[in-house]
Amino acid sequence: MELSESVQRGLQSLADQSVFDHGSFQVLVDVSFRSLLSSHGDPTVLGQPEFKQIDQILLKQSHTAAVTFILEAVKQNADQSTISSSLEELTFSAERTEIFYSAYQKHKKDLERLLASIGRGLPHITDASWRLEYHMKNGQVDKVNDPFYLISLNTENEGSSEDINFTCTVEQLQDLVGKLKDAAKTMEKASQM
Amino acid sequence: MRFADIRSGSRAKEAPAMEEVDKILIHALKQVGTEVPEEINSVKQFSSELIVEAVVRCIRVIDPGLSSTLATSLPPGMSARFRVGMSLAQACQDIGYKGEIGYQTFLYSSEPEIRSLLMFLVEKLPRESAETSDQPTGKSVVLQRTIAAAIKAHLAVPWLPPKCRLPLNCETQRQGVMHSFHVQPLSLTNCTKGSSKKHTKEVKDYQRDVLSPVTAQISSQASVVASILEQHTAEISTAQEWDNEWNNQGLLSRFTPQEYCLRKFTRLHKRIEDQLRSAALPSSHSAFGVSRSTSDLCELLQAFKGSVQPGHILTKGTHFTHTQKFNFTQEVPQVAKTIPTNHQSEGDVQLGQQEELAYLQQQFQQLCSEVDHLAADMKHMSVTNAQVLDELKQRELRNSEKEEKIQVKKKTIDLLPDADNNLLKLQGLVEASAKRVVNLASQWEKHRAPLVDEYRRLKDICSSKDVESSKKLSEIKSLHEKIRVSTEEAKKKEDAYKQLVTELENLPQDVSRSAYTQRILEIVSNIKKQKEEITKILSDTKELQKEINNLTGKLDRTFAVTDELVFKDAKKDETVRKSYKYLAALHENCNQLIQTIEDTGTILREIRDLEEQIETENGNKTVANLERILEDYKAIRQENASLAAKVREG
Repeated sequence: MELSESVQRGLQSLADQSVFDHGSFQVLVDVSFRSLLSSHGDPTVLGQPEFKQIDQILLKQSHTAAVTFILEAVKQNADQSTISSSLEELTFSAERTEIFYSAYQKHKKDLERLLASIGRGLPHITDASWRLEYHMKNGQVDKVNDPFYLISLNTENEGSSEDINFTCTVEQLQDLVGKLKDAAKTMEKASQM
Repeated sequence: MRFADIRSGSRAKEAPAMEEVDKILIHALKQVGTEVPEEINSVKQFSSELIVEAVVRCIRVIDPGLSSTLATSLPPGMSARFRVGMSLAQACQDIGYKGEIGYQTFLYSSEPEIRSLLMFLVEKLPRESAETSDQPTGKSVVLQRTIAAAIKAHLAVPWLPPKCRLPLNCETQRQGVMHSFHVQPLSLTNCTKGSSKKHTKEVKDYQRDVLSPVTAQISSQASVVASILEQHTAEISTAQEWDNEWNNQGLLSRFTPQEYCLRKFTRLHKRIEDQLRSAALPSSHSAFGVSRSTSDLCELLQAFKGSVQPGHILTKGTHFTHTQKFNFTQEVPQVAKTIPTNHQSEGDVQLGQQEELAYLQQQFQQLCSEVDHLAADMKHMSVTNAQVLDELKQRELRNSEKEEKIQVKKKTIDLLPDADNNLLKLQGLVEASAKRVVNLASQWEKHRAPLVDEYRRLKDICSSKDVESSKKLSEIKSLHEKIRVSTEEAKKKEDAYKQLVTELENLPQDVSRSAYTQRILEIVSNIKKQKEEITKILSDTKELQKEINNLTGKLDRTFAVTDELVFKDAKKDETVRKSYKYLAALHENCNQLIQTIEDTGTILREIRDLEEQIETENGNKTVANLERILEDYKAIRQENASLAAKVREG
């Protein structure tokens, strides 16, 4: 994992036993995870009693570095060996790496959900209803005799559902179904790689 | 007899070797897709259907085109079976099997034929394993592989309609509220590189006491995450770009990093200034009154200046707009006076206030315009003042020059009366000064030469130092390269190791390669031993044969000699004749004995050969096959009869 210089420095001071002793290390790890997952930013999150002894600027640097490291790790779906090797390179002791990794495991799902919620999503089709109509005559032509479909696709987007209605001829419907099959095949091929 | 030992020994070793071969064959056939039941351990136990299925599947893998007409199971009818057997045999021959093959190999199989056919087919199976073990690949391929695995995992989860969804499916199938990727700048406690000295005390106090932690600086949770990630990526990419630039251009320029940055900053600053100036100029060059600002930069600058409005508020312009305003200032006071005439309405307090406001505004504008007037006048005055000063200076210069000329002329006029003397004196003076000049020039030369040499020497040293330093720079660069390359290689090797370990774990465990290699090595050593024994036996046989030849030779010679001797004496003596007869009989009998022994040996060999043949023939299960052939023949005749009856009927 690539980390910028400021993040590396912050993490190194976090690993330093003389700056963060065992108790405050544990608290800072918990606080970092909590501050990411809470929906409203809490300015007093670094006001814990264990942090009173530590230089506030250093504390804030380490907090920023820890938070950035957590986000990068979740973004890259890093496994245990990657995280442990990165932390060991930054002079973390094995015990602290263990503490960090267990907290990471606990909160990984929530963080993944948080990251996955950033982006754009298109509506999902959940249901389809159809009606086949037969066009027999109209005002200009005496004999038309054309079948066509009225399709209503029930879509869901971000919890709210919406209907997409359209009409199409048989060929157009075949075309649509063909395209859907193509899409399914492409997904399968993508998963084979 | 050692021969027998060796033969039996090799046959005893054949059996377990054959077991191994069968195991390998069965495993390979299972991989191709043949369903081999668990109890079958050797090729001997294969039934005809199993053989056909195995062969067809192998052919399908080896050459899909050939197998289009072949089915994996034998049809029930006898003639159809016959046809299938023939086509299979043909297909095997097309693939390249050199042995004898026909429908009988499939329908009435014999163990060695089947074994050799299956071994041939399994050898021909394409080695897919060689292609899939790619070289461990770079980051992008690893990323694509993880993406493919994730897509596969998502595809494996079955889709459920929204009312029935379990939390398991919600991740991939339900869509929660999405936030857009919105980034806001964060204030961090260490904004610039290693610059803790630069921050003033106030900034540090702010950072210590007031600055809120990163996660609390932005109100929306998604924006916090987006901003942190963006900040980090920006830092990494600037660091990378700086590294790139420093390694390529910075080292060459021989400056320290700070100097390089400073120079670059001033260079860029100058360029920006020049661009702005050249863009701002065309607005005052509009000679024909057509002031079309063609470039975007001009338009932007115009927007900054604000257009000159002949009305309410005079904007603060630059030098250029002031020169323009010189022309417009006459019109302004007239326009300003027309403003108060608009406000004539009912005597309301508000209107009164508005009137007062307008009046005050007008006064204010008047004052402004007067101030501007005065400023303009002052400027004018200062300009004229400067001009006048300039002229004065010039006149003074000219005066002094003229004075000098007057002085010189005066002196010459003074000297005129005593012309000759003065001329001589002047000449002497000139000569003396010329000599002095020459003297001074030579002294200067004397000083100059060593200084020039010194200068040249120092320049050489400098250039050689340049050469050395450029060499050292290139060495440093190459060392950097080597370091980078070796760290990359180390990383690649570690990645490759990890990948290979995971692949090894994923490989199927049922067939162990080490057992194979062990067996192969054992067989090789066995063969070596057998070869030694064979050579020993051969040499023994040769020895024996030589001895036999020797002895027969000796025997013949001895017999010939004795024969002659005894025959010579036999004509005279009766006992000698009798002994001669005994000798001849003895020789005959011994010859016969030897002959019978030789015959016994040949017959024994023939017996052994025949025993071997009997064994192989026994393995062919010919009796069972013949019975089956008879049955099948009867079945075919019945089928033919029924078909003929059908034809006759219909």
